[in-house]
Amino acid sequence: MNESQTPPVDDPWKRRFIILFVVTVIIPAFVALWLLRRFGEDVPVDHESAVEHFKYGSTGGEHEMGFPYWIWRALPEVCPQYLPGRGYQSLGMVFERNADGSERDVPVGTSRRRYQGIDRVFVNCAVCHTSTVRVAADQPAQIVLGMPAATFNMKGFEEFFFRCAADPKFSKEYILPEIERQGGQLDLLDRLLVYPVAIAIMRDRVLALAGRFDWVFRQHEWGPGRVDTFNSAKVIFNFPMAHLDPREFDAPADFPSIWQQRQRKEPREMQLHWDGNNTTVEERNKSAAFGTGTTPPTIDLARIRRVEDWLLDARPPAFDRFFAIDRQLAARGAALYKQYCAACHGASGSDFSGEHVGRVVPLAEIGTDRRRLDSYTYTLAVNQATLYAGYPWRFTHFQKTHGYANMPLDGLWLRAPYLHNGSVPSLRDLLEPAAKRPPVFHRGNDLYDPVRVGFVSDQPQVDGRPLFRFDTRLPGNANSGHEGRAYGTELTAADKAALVEFLKTF
Amino acid sequence: MSIGTRKPWVRAIVILVGVLAVLAALIGYDRGFREQPQPDWVSATPETRFKYGSIGAEHDAGVPYWIFYVLPRIFPEKLRQDGRIVPGGYAALGVPWELGQELPIGFTKKIIGFPRVANNCAVCHTTSIRATADANPSFIVAGPAHTTNVEAFFRYLIDCAKDPRFNADILMAEINRVTDLDVIDRLLYRFFIIPITKKRLLEREAQFAWIYRPDFPEWGRGRDDAMNLTKYFMIRAPMDDTFGPTDMPSVWNLAKYRWDQGHRMNYAGDSHDAWSVIMDSALGLLGAAPVNRDEFVAQVKWLHGYLGRLPPPTYPFPIDRAQAAAGKPLFVAHCARCHDSELTGRPLPLAEVGTDRGRIDSWNMAAAIKANQVVKEMGLDRRGLVEADPEGYVAAFLDGIWLKAPYLHNGSVPTLRDLLEPAARRPQVFWRGYDVYDQKKVGFVSDGEAAQRVGTRLDTRSRGGGNQGHEFGTQLSAGEKEALLEYLKTL
Repeated sequence: MNESQTPPVDDPWKRRFIILFVVTVIIPAFVALWLLRRFGEDVPVDHESAVEHFKYGSTGGEHEMGFPYWIWRALPEVCPQYLPGRGYQSLGMVFERNADGSERDVPVGTSRRRYQGIDRVFVNCAVCHTSTVRVAADQPAQIVLGMPAATFNMKGFEEFFFRCAADPKFSKEYILPEIERQGGQLDLLDRLLVYPVAIAIMRDRVLALAGRFDWVFRQHEWGPGRVDTFNSAKVIFNFPMAHLDPREFDAPADFPSIWQQRQRKEPREMQLHWDGNNTTVEERNKSAAFGTGTTPPTIDLARIRRVEDWLLDARPPAFDRFFAIDRQLAARGAALYKQYCAACHGASGSDFSGEHVGRVVPLAEIGTDRRRLDSYTYTLAVNQATLYAGYPWRFTHFQKTHGYANMPLDGLWLRAPYLHNGSVPSLRDLLEPAAKRPPVFHRGNDLYDPVRVGFVSDQPQVDGRPLFRFDTRLPGNANSGHEGRAYGTELTAADKAALVEFLKTF
Repeated sequence: MSIGTRKPWVRAIVILVGVLAVLAALIGYDRGFREQPQPDWVSATPETRFKYGSIGAEHDAGVPYWIFYVLPRIFPEKLRQDGRIVPGGYAALGVPWELGQELPIGFTKKIIGFPRVANNCAVCHTTSIRATADANPSFIVAGPAHTTNVEAFFRYLIDCAKDPRFNADILMAEINRVTDLDVIDRLLYRFFIIPITKKRLLEREAQFAWIYRPDFPEWGRGRDDAMNLTKYFMIRAPMDDTFGPTDMPSVWNLAKYRWDQGHRMNYAGDSHDAWSVIMDSALGLLGAAPVNRDEFVAQVKWLHGYLGRLPPPTYPFPIDRAQAAAGKPLFVAHCARCHDSELTGRPLPLAEVGTDRGRIDSWNMAAAIKANQVVKEMGLDRRGLVEADPEGYVAAFLDGIWLKAPYLHNGSVPTLRDLLEPAARRPQVFWRGYDVYDQKKVGFVSDGEAAQRVGTRLDTRSRGGGNQGHEFGTQLSAGEKEALLEYLKTL
């Protein structure tokens, strides 16, 4: 009774209430806010210029597939035995140099994003569509954006991560010290919690993926510059790969160049991909973006759009910025080109008009290796129509074709080796009948041969690094087809030289 | 209430709880039950409506869309035929599937609270056909779905549900990889839709017990055990020992059936007319009484009209007209008595034809009476099933016969040319469900490497698969058979 009549000024209940309030509300609120800031971010590293964005911008693939930045950095040192040489460089990835001459921390074709409290790295479009050219053995490599990644060994890249994740050294005991050695100053929370958890999660994810990509290990080597595009696409649906028709396997295709996309959609939509299985540039792009780790809910459409816009009118560098062209000889070759090539390959390297450009030629007619065509099945095509279900941009244009598409030839000189499977090292070789094309050559050199028009292919190594020995007699590698009178393989040597000279202007 | 007036905070809480309850009910209705029409393109043409239009099966037989979507990604190893794992998602089941379409033909998507997938008639009545192995398929509506492996589909859903990995954690992880559901849908899926779907699919196992019987052969592509489906589903009969596999029939030009002229439908003449057959088949797809009877009857009416008038497809390859003309008198002499006369469309005594009796034994008068009663209790009006034991198979109308391979009621003879051989010389084993057309033998290619890889094996010595009987015209000379075949292409 007394207590209730005279409430004291410094009521102990009031104090207790304040303490309770601070403990149960204020402190947790601050902790929650801090956690939200620490782990709630979803911020990619952006680049002002379109060119930098192409090289290092995000497609959104880091959400699902991103490797924690410092793990990405550490792995080549933790698992060097699974790389052909030192670092990601040995897989043919392209590194730019910093102002001080040192190599950048990540190669061209990788992006960074801070997501769920950790910086993540994964590949973007440029990893398969950027490479280097050297005009002479003692000259520096020049980076060319949009050209096929002729030196990048994608199969080696995949296998490196799958093997490393399965290695006992893929653990915090080996990775964290390596991160420290490389100067990664992880804070206490990162060291004790975030990175150990991230290592475990990444290991699980990569191993799960490795199961789905098990078939890759059983393929003949793709070598640099190639990927088995549509067997990889079957992995999206978790097709039981071991049960596929064996004829669908060993179907590597050369990376394509990706310049001048506008002319592939206007004035008329071309059949895109080597077999012309899609006519929509944007759908084709989203399909390719699966290769950068994107999923329908996590794709970063706004940033992919920036790349798409840039690619609409991106142009290949001219041959004569690197080597001289004999203009007179080229002029003579122009007439031959018009007679033999233009209807299927366009009026020139920048004018893609021509009756058959961007259309499929039946396999029996073109006669090139059929495995890439057979790897793309009607069954896959209808399954692809379920991709992006529930979104307005669900895939609706994939179709099964029965031949290969006639490509426009912009930047042709940078697109060696030739044919869809990269089985012919140079343009000059392509003008020979298949029987006289090199049965074995080497891929992955960035040293250019301006005479035969293609990369130097007769050297087994460069700077002590072995190059890939390409055997055209292996499944998927046949260098047959695109031959005969109509294809210029019966021209005289002089005419062939003139034609090749003209093709340098593309 | 006096409490309300005395204590305003109680009243406030009561009101708040009430408002929240109403809100929850509205959201629950919207996300769980509210029916939305299919998009306009579905009914843009009668053909698209037949292929993709809902007949109302989503209510009870529907599988929630996102579950349907992710199952082949989670359980690809359960998509099998002839015991082999077949890659390709639902395409592995041989369902007709057009390029650019989100779902195969005969699969319908409709939002009832949430998107659901069910089937319509087209899943069993659309033919996939290719001119050569290097061509894409064409799809002919109302033709027999000779490629569709119905039994494998039934089993697949049940097998998935039986797997312990069919749980909310694993399904949600996969669903979140392909779409961006909002919080309410995620909760609904996790706590209601996935567990309920699992339960419903598991309930099917008991009903479908006979499709797991090791002593019965697989139906394989393009066949179903039609009358046992009716028995075990519509009238919930206890499992008996019969097995009567039949070929998927064509359903074009149904107006030719005139019940008042003695025509009967179904292979053994067990149903009176097209109206009854359409209604009973549709009820089979619904798996329950229709939620909205008037809408259901309207669907049946539309199908009845559409399929009644739909002409049979004409033979798309060249025909030797002179040869066909030479074949016509042979047809008149050897075939017309049953296939172009007042006998056509009526059941003939089995002894006269001598084909496999499995299908006849799988149906009986008591089942017909019971089924008629069940449908009547749903308040549906139809002439219905013939309340008598079947005694033989119907002498078929031959319109569009070129596309109805394999032949005989149980699809036990791959081509018309084979049918013109005595049973002993018909293929004993062949592969069904490969869709490249064989213009020479008139039917689908049924042997060889590709047919064996794609199709399902039919051993005519297996139960219900006998290829004996109908040994008519088998004595003709080889030249006469060629002429007759050419004429049959014109029908």
